Amino acid sequence: MAEPLPPGVTAEAMAGTLETFRRIVGKDWVFTGEQMVSYRDPYPVTNDDTRYRAHAAVAPASTEEVQEIVKAANAHGVPLWPVSRGKNFAYGGAAPVLSGSVVLDLSRMNRILEVNEKFGYALVEPGVSYFDLYNYIQSKGLKLWLDVPDPGWGSVMGNALDHGVGYTPYGDHFMMQCGMEVVLANGEVVRTGMGAMPGNNTWQLFKYGFGPYVDGIFSQSNFGVVTKMGIWLMPEPAGYKPYMITFDREEDVAEVIEILRPLRLNNVIQNAATIRSLVLDAAITATKSQYYSGTGPIPDSVARKIMADQQIGMWNFCGALYGPPPVADALWSVIRDAFAKVPGAKFYFEEDRKRRPDILIHRAETMRGVPKLTEFNFLNWAGGGGHIGFSPVSPTTGTDAMKQYRMVSDRVREYGFDYMGLLAIGFRELHHVTVIVYDKTNPDERARLDKVFNLLVQEAAAEGYGEYRTHIQYMDAIAGTYKWNDNALWKMHQAIKDALDPKGILAPGKSGIWPKHLREGRQP
Amino acid sequence: MKLAAVVASAALAAAAVPAAAADLTGKEVFDRHCVHCHGAGDEMTGTQQLARTRGKDKALLAERDDLPAEYIRMIVRQGLKAMPAFVPSDLTDAQLQALAEYLAD
Repeated sequence: MAEPLPPGVTAEAMAGTLETFRRIVGKDWVFTGEQMVSYRDPYPVTNDDTRYRAHAAVAPASTEEVQEIVKAANAHGVPLWPVSRGKNFAYGGAAPVLSGSVVLDLSRMNRILEVNEKFGYALVEPGVSYFDLYNYIQSKGLKLWLDVPDPGWGSVMGNALDHGVGYTPYGDHFMMQCGMEVVLANGEVVRTGMGAMPGNNTWQLFKYGFGPYVDGIFSQSNFGVVTKMGIWLMPEPAGYKPYMITFDREEDVAEVIEILRPLRLNNVIQNAATIRSLVLDAAITATKSQYYSGTGPIPDSVARKIMADQQIGMWNFCGALYGPPPVADALWSVIRDAFAKVPGAKFYFEEDRKRRPDILIHRAETMRGVPKLTEFNFLNWAGGGGHIGFSPVSPTTGTDAMKQYRMVSDRVREYGFDYMGLLAIGFRELHHVTVIVYDKTNPDERARLDKVFNLLVQEAAAEGYGEYRTHIQYMDAIAGTYKWNDNALWKMHQAIKDALDPKGILAPGKSGIWPKHLREGRQP
Repeated sequence: MKLAAVVASAALAAAAVPAAAADLTGKEVFDRHCVHCHGAGDEMTGTQQLARTRGKDKALLAERDDLPAEYIRMIVRQGLKAMPAFVPSDLTDAQLQALAEYLAD
């Protein structure tokens, strides 16, 4: 099928706009027709091939080119879908919510503008990947660590803007963001925080500047195009010791979370540690067919076989100790004694793990900020290559963890999927990320996934649990659950949208925020 | 205000480092975009999956000589199962051609 046009834009108007884009960026950097196959959602859930299809893509090389593109889009009412590197896979990749949008692909803006070892920060453009920044730091021999999400090819900026998380003490990426440059929908450039003051040298050191702190409104939003971002980097610690503690029973998760909360809140557990379920960890190093040839989720007997084979538990807690050895030793004694209360808990360091590949050996790199793509192995668990994340947030209590585990695992198993969950431990909350791996080539399986995903969103909301991030297909549904006081928050988002982007050209539908002319009949 | 922003940009640009070189050889393209899944090693997603589905002798792309350049170009642009597609802004047609020739040889 031909690439679709956005609502209200004629073929002539689009052609004229693309011609303007070619004059701005050069003809080689506007992509149309068959070239758009690469911009489709790599892991689609819908069976409707007309949804989430971009019309074209334009790839600028500078902030100035972004300004010109935005002005031209505004003049013609052409919607843009900005992506940093377009590798937000499982959340739609580079594909837009609104079909017909033109992807504003910032991959070519890939300059590392500064890495400051003394203060521990980097200033990067959107196209800089974790691999890029890691390689730069290594090549210069700088004593700085990154914090990486699982896939290292994504954008440092894009991940922070989508509230991504990693595994070191700097695991909350947006918390570690400091200072932005943003192109607004009218083409004007804004620098936030201290960046607003000419001649100031603390843009990447102090977040708040003077007046309202606005960086947050440019995350998970469609209020501007972020073209530079500061990110704090962790000084290389004097020592590092990763560990894994395994737990044998499903119900252990409640006690484990109760033990974890005070340890994390008091920084005895220093990093953004995770507890992962059996199948999620097993899928890093094996496939389902190696253990089970039946249909549907694996039975308990198979789960026990995997646990024995791979020396992992029903739940696996990976953490790390950061700092001089005497400090690490003291922290470990507290952590070990606390978890030893759980019957059957087993404790491992790297030297205790002999099998290869091995989950702790893999995680040992991730928890010190080495970018990798190892995690993609779990996509092959069932053979079909698709995956999506369902990610409600809850308090760090055993009761909530157990309740969420039961709610989600029962549902996904009922619909024929294995439960592959992780609990990412924040200071006061946990992200319960359930990855549903599915056969993306099977229309029936896609339909089944869509059904269970919508059910999960509604059931979680009914219990007061909201998702922190989602795939483009579910942005409206999840925005609709944040509806306290007659959708007051999303009404405020809409007011900001209307003020900053009155023609609604930036990412219509991102996070369920629609411009005025496309709002009717949509949530909230 | 606008002038100040432009001046600041120019100052930063002087110290800026592009994360990727414009022209890469086929091997360099492979090392930048492919090796993290298709390199040698027991954690490599692509290598492990090819070993399972095609056999161990066909697991390492860089050691194969049965992959036509056209097939490589198609898979890179369209993706295949777990492997997502690579967009032409990040991996240009010229780089893809160099990669395809490198892998096809």
